[in-house]
Amino acid sequence: MNFDSYNLDAAIYDEMLLPDGSPREHSARLHETLLRLSPEELGSIQEGVARSFLHEGIFFTVYGDDEAQERIIPVDCVPRVLSAAEWGLLDRGLSQRLRALNRFVDDVYNGAYAVSDDVIPEDLVSGCPNYRPEMLGYSPPHGVWVAICGTDLLRTDDGFFVLEDNLRSPSGVSYMVATRNAVKAGLRRLYRSYRVREVEHYGSLLQQTLIELAPGGKPDPTIVLLTPGVYNAAFYEHMFLAHEIGAELVEGRDLLVRNGFVYMRTTSGLRRVDIIYRRVDDLFLDPFVFRPDSMLGVPGLLDACKRGNVTLVNAPGVGVADDKSVYPFVPDMIRYYLGEEPILGNVETYLCRRPAELEYTLDNLDKLVVKRVGESGGYGMLIGPHATPEERNEYAQQVRANPADFIAQPVLTFSRAPCLVDGQLEPRHVDLRPFVLQGRETRIVPGAFCRVALRRGSLVVNSSQGGGGKDVWVLEE
Amino acid sequence: MLSRSAQGIYWMGRYLERTECLCRLMQLQTEALVDRPARDIYVGWRRLYGVLRRIPPGGVLDFADSDDFTLADSYTLAGDLTFERSNPDSVWNCFAQGRENARHMRHCISAEMWQRVNLAYLRLRDMDIEDIWSLPEGFYAGLAAETDAFDGAAQATMYRDEGWSFLRLGGFIERAQFATGLLLQQLAIDEEGDGYAEEDWVGLLEASHALEVYNRRYGAAVHAHPALDLLVTDPLLPGSLGRTFTQISQEIARLGTGPGTDSGRAAQRLTGRMLSLLQNEWPDSREREGLLRRVLTEATNLHFMINEAYFDYPLNVYAE
Repeated sequence: MNFDSYNLDAAIYDEMLLPDGSPREHSARLHETLLRLSPEELGSIQEGVARSFLHEGIFFTVYGDDEAQERIIPVDCVPRVLSAAEWGLLDRGLSQRLRALNRFVDDVYNGAYAVSDDVIPEDLVSGCPNYRPEMLGYSPPHGVWVAICGTDLLRTDDGFFVLEDNLRSPSGVSYMVATRNAVKAGLRRLYRSYRVREVEHYGSLLQQTLIELAPGGKPDPTIVLLTPGVYNAAFYEHMFLAHEIGAELVEGRDLLVRNGFVYMRTTSGLRRVDIIYRRVDDLFLDPFVFRPDSMLGVPGLLDACKRGNVTLVNAPGVGVADDKSVYPFVPDMIRYYLGEEPILGNVETYLCRRPAELEYTLDNLDKLVVKRVGESGGYGMLIGPHATPEERNEYAQQVRANPADFIAQPVLTFSRAPCLVDGQLEPRHVDLRPFVLQGRETRIVPGAFCRVALRRGSLVVNSSQGGGGKDVWVLEE
Repeated sequence: MLSRSAQGIYWMGRYLERTECLCRLMQLQTEALVDRPARDIYVGWRRLYGVLRRIPPGGVLDFADSDDFTLADSYTLAGDLTFERSNPDSVWNCFAQGRENARHMRHCISAEMWQRVNLAYLRLRDMDIEDIWSLPEGFYAGLAAETDAFDGAAQATMYRDEGWSFLRLGGFIERAQFATGLLLQQLAIDEEGDGYAEEDWVGLLEASHALEVYNRRYGAAVHAHPALDLLVTDPLLPGSLGRTFTQISQEIARLGTGPGTDSGRAAQRLTGRMLSLLQNEWPDSREREGLLRRVLTEATNLHFMINEAYFDYPLNVYAE
């Protein structure tokens, strides 16, 4: 392979190459290996990775007009390498952020001191669609509301920035492990010599974390993973995680609540459940409390949770902390709750609910990314510089009609990494989603799911929008 | 074990067993297209549609003593029984359902089992009758071998917990129903004709992996009565009804009565009665068709009892 036609742009941070085209120190060996491999050899490794996903059945399901289609997520075989120092910074920054977010959620539902101290406006909290007044007064084991967090990070020339905290049902960790297994099998010699830190033990760390959150510290608790069912796009991940943590994979119809305790229907009778790692959204969890038409939840579940008889992970109501309108306040939360300066910065964000920031947004639509606060997955957003004047005008009308529903951010020229595209190495924009676990202590697997905007020039990395994945190799010291 | 998981594994066992049974019969049927008379081919199709209780395309099976018609009809009928998506019992649907159950219950089965069934599915999923018609018997033999390989992978790698028992139980119940239905179809065909046709029973023995045993025991000429005895009672023949009910009985004993204890006990009693019927009543009976009908009915009842004992039991049971 060669980098002759690689479109290196000095204005965009490249994960592998310096602006002069030479490799970064920690990527040198990967670079050398790529140069040594022929296009056919690298192509064959790429095919092996895709085949591994196909054979393992690592699909996500896309529903069309006629029938559901199983698709595999496209994974690029060229890993992204992070040095020990880079990871060390992320590790500290992510731990700090999750500690603060947990303190914030606990505060929201137990006193709201940050609101009374003017750290965050009251209306942002109470007006947040993911605020759950039903959780007021609840205290989860060890104060852990968010036990599992997937944080989206971007890198620019100025370093790493947090783009989003995913606290409700962060997904992608199964792809992290599957990608690692497939890529290391293709690049086995390089992997062995590189001293890459493992990610395959994520399941045991997750299990340990969940056990620590058992009601009343119950030893040997029964854990289940609650899935919306096989039609959910992330079903593979639910199945994978249930297997990894030795839990039953249950649906709402498998559970029932009696006298404030949760039971599952087994072949030997009803068995009590202590911890539910739920991948069902808040509003579908309990038809007695939330949506009465929900068929995915369990009547009485929230009552059992609030009585302390079962732990729901993550706890209902945590979405108040990963709302796009609340996001700009996370650095202040870190200062307020922890008395520390944030290690990882935020992307500059304009809240359209504030008149001055709305005006700025509307005046600069061609330079900004504007997002709906309630949307995710790359839906409902406008990338100003890539939009036509008509699209911008139409979007501006929507923003004016309901400013509180929107935030705006500058278009970041976030980093790119080499990917194998049509037999050549080409740069593509990448983000990073590490997974942070919080039990009695914070645990982070040294790795991440790296999402790739596979379409040339695209800044959208979401798999639902044509994005793919990449392995992340975190090196030992 | 979660009841729904157990149920999923049970159905996986049923669907994959049905796939295998269908493939064995379709293999014989398409082999017959090479050199058998049109009458034999007609009987084969009739048996297949009869056991599936399915109306063939066009409404009825006509016996046309012409090679051209027989071959043209066979193409349509094979397509209907193999790839027709609207036919719930087509080979494709049975296998796809077995694989779908495996996908849902993948955390309960071994990686080897999943990969076996998934790889076979990936090869099968975009095929149509046109793709296999140059050598159809090879296709059916191949798919039957895939299900055998799945069984082998299960035998070698699956943890012997309740899931294992439910997988086997599903397969045995399916086998009991399918094999009994097939024998009843053949007896009906024999009764309509002038006695039995040797080739029909050769086919049945072949489909049940019993022809060699038969030949060793009774000689080369195949007669209906000894063939029927072998297929019903032989304790060593994997597909015989006697052996199948013995295995059902063993798995139910291993699982215990389940939380739906009434149904669990009823299932235990019923398998005992079936074994007694096959071992004691069968040899002296002159009403063999009647006995087989009873076996078929009770195998269906067993299915419902298993459902109520372990999967869908009343919820007024003791909670641990």
